Amino acid sequence: MNEEELLKRSAAERDRIFSCYDRGREGAEIDPWEDPAYEVYHTTDRYGFIHDKRLPQKMDQNEIKTQFVEMERLKKWHKMTKNWETVATTEKLRRRIYKGIPDRFRGQVWVLLLGIHKLKSENIGKYEEMLRLARQWSTEIRQIDADVARQYRDHINYRERYSLKQRSMFYVLAAYSMYNMEVGYCQGMSVLAGLLLLYMDEEEAFWGLSVLLTDKKYSMHGFYVDGFPKLNRYMEHHDKIMQRFLPKLKKRLDKCGCDSILYALKWFFVVFQERTPVSLGLRIWDIFLLDGDRVLPAIAYTIMKLHKRQLLTMDSLDEFCNYLQIKLEKDFGYDDDHVISAVERSMEELKRAKLEYPGPPLPHELPKQPIGTFKEPTFTSKVGRRADEFSEAQQVMRESLIQRRQTALIEDEGSEEHEDSATPTELSAASNRRMLGANNCVGVNSHGGSKFLFEAGDGGSSLSPQGSRRSLADTSVTSTADLSVFSSATRSQPLDNSLDTQSNASVASSSGSAGLQTPRAGSHQPSPDVVRIYVPYGGGPGYKDGLPRTLPRSLDTNKIRIKVQDPDQTPVVENLKPFALDSPEYELDIK
Amino acid sequence: MASRGTAQRPNGTQGKICQFKLVLLGESAVGKSSLVLRFVKGQFHEYQESTIGAAFLTQTVCLEETTVKFEIWDTAGQERYHSLAPMYYRGAQAAIVVYDITNQDTFTRATTWVKELQRQASPSIVIALAGNKADLGNKRVVEYEEAQAYAEENGLLFMETSAKTAMNVNDIFLAIAKKLPKNEQTGNAGTSGQGRRLVESEGQKPTSGNCCK
Repeated sequence: MNEEELLKRSAAERDRIFSCYDRGREGAEIDPWEDPAYEVYHTTDRYGFIHDKRLPQKMDQNEIKTQFVEMERLKKWHKMTKNWETVATTEKLRRRIYKGIPDRFRGQVWVLLLGIHKLKSENIGKYEEMLRLARQWSTEIRQIDADVARQYRDHINYRERYSLKQRSMFYVLAAYSMYNMEVGYCQGMSVLAGLLLLYMDEEEAFWGLSVLLTDKKYSMHGFYVDGFPKLNRYMEHHDKIMQRFLPKLKKRLDKCGCDSILYALKWFFVVFQERTPVSLGLRIWDIFLLDGDRVLPAIAYTIMKLHKRQLLTMDSLDEFCNYLQIKLEKDFGYDDDHVISAVERSMEELKRAKLEYPGPPLPHELPKQPIGTFKEPTFTSKVGRRADEFSEAQQVMRESLIQRRQTALIEDEGSEEHEDSATPTELSAASNRRMLGANNCVGVNSHGGSKFLFEAGDGGSSLSPQGSRRSLADTSVTSTADLSVFSSATRSQPLDNSLDTQSNASVASSSGSAGLQTPRAGSHQPSPDVVRIYVPYGGGPGYKDGLPRTLPRSLDTNKIRIKVQDPDQTPVVENLKPFALDSPEYELDIK
Repeated sequence: MASRGTAQRPNGTQGKICQFKLVLLGESAVGKSSLVLRFVKGQFHEYQESTIGAAFLTQTVCLEETTVKFEIWDTAGQERYHSLAPMYYRGAQAAIVVYDITNQDTFTRATTWVKELQRQASPSIVIALAGNKADLGNKRVVEYEEAQAYAEENGLLFMETSAKTAMNVNDIFLAIAKKLPKNEQTGNAGTSGQGRRLVESEGQKPTSGNCCK
């Protein structure tokens, strides 16, 4: 197809999807699978969510109490919302919101907290204008359609394809993709729009979404914009909190390769929706809308703290993911009031440690253009073609993730020695010192020198003249992973499932003799991105019993120093012999 | 599910267990999460919520002599999340690149994923191409032959699958399991395509698989 045809095709697709939503259900061609049949036994809860099981006929004591308390509060809330201007800043409002906004006031209060009335009256006609632009220009329609079709489908309002609220969700996201063209549409935003629409009308939800993204109190723009710059900052902050307050748990998670990005990305992007039960999720949104993004670290910390004991009984990534991503949503294990009180305590705790707020948004987390500025999309994005290369922002994200993993692994080792004394800063400094790919990694300074110098403590090594500069960052990660495999004999599950290790090639041997062998050059096809470094520690009996045992506390004898001095000549070190795990002493406990 | 494991080992025998890291890649809404859900839990949700970030699950399959445990990374499909993908395919021994047979663009996108894997992932990675939503045959746009020819050219495993009807879902994972190297006496041990070989201790059985029960 030539360019004109491609453009035509994209425009036709957009028009077609738009017309589906414009028409609604009337006369629409809806595949049977797109529309759910109502099963009589489905029952809807008080928030409109439909459950697979019949809900209990009787409310339990807790529910009765909650409803009673809510009824009592209604009068107060009625009065408070009538006199919003005078109460808006008072401590009373804050206290009451932390106790939970009664569901029937939630919409009204959320609209007030987000300052939607003012925006709406200052921008009359803007929403319609954006929607018109979207019909003509939006390049995000296909993705929005795909996500609207599956967002909150267990809610009565979204259950039917092209239902009123589904249509609203589509229009709000389409219009917003034009209003903020730097973000456009990013997966996750359908959750925000979908939730707001449960409590307000279409145009209000549009302005609500806009406030969430670009008001400095929430600044979600930085989460969703290309490269996710704010995510990095928030995850680092979360890691710091974990290191400081839950070091044991952090160590366990790191050991199993459970990087915080696995659970915290979704937590932060959609503010704990779909990861906590509905009622708790709403309570979290109440305080989020009141206090803004500064509550995110405290909530994340609280979840980990409350579930620390259960989490510490787990020793595989599988279990952690299942618990944090699925189990907690089904059954959080604590009632909502308890959780919100715990969040308040966490905030105090973090405040004392000066860790309550990761700081205001950085310049690159904010919109560069004034919001609402229209710029014609490029040909590539019009026809939905993807970029071949990572953008600079994506590159930054990618590399900083690699660095984070590395730091985590080194902290894991380091913590063997300094469980409580080492601060995250010291440790990450240590990791930076050991980073091999210094000049490739964000925020790490290097000499940018001329030659790859390799000194191993007492392990053998082999150098081959292949490789590229790009391989350097990977090098460090791999070697770190390998080191950590060796420094932890109690680990029965190697690190393969950790995010970025390639430890599959470095299977630690459980037999003493093999463990002391120095790997030699082998014949396998060397990956240009892989460097294997084997660092044996001195001595060590054969481990036959699988019991925890003492290991060298210090890695002094195993130090590796690699200097990068010549970017054009980057030798790759390959670990050539596997550490076969074929002796029967290693047991695999498959859950 | 008859096509699942090929070997039934009586309780108590010793068998070899290999663990492999597998990543699912592909355009948004082609059915990556649904394939995983079908394979791991035998379920299908008509409205599988969109994956934000990534998800991790495991499942075990039995071959004649070995038990293969897959550590499955399910990724987000939107381009903006692409920058996270290398974290997941790094060190992966297998990948399933998924497209939707009712959408040509998703096939094109699958081919660019294949290219990226060939360039960036482990050289010995086993790649499978899955043409999903095969139950929607009346809306087919991508011809079977076209995809098969492409797969052959590039040395990929290829199957059309349906997470909805479970067609070929176990089969594609099983085919990957068969193709993955499981022995270390081949002389080129230590390559990054190698799975870890562990020994199943006596009496211990994989419990998550539909096999070996």
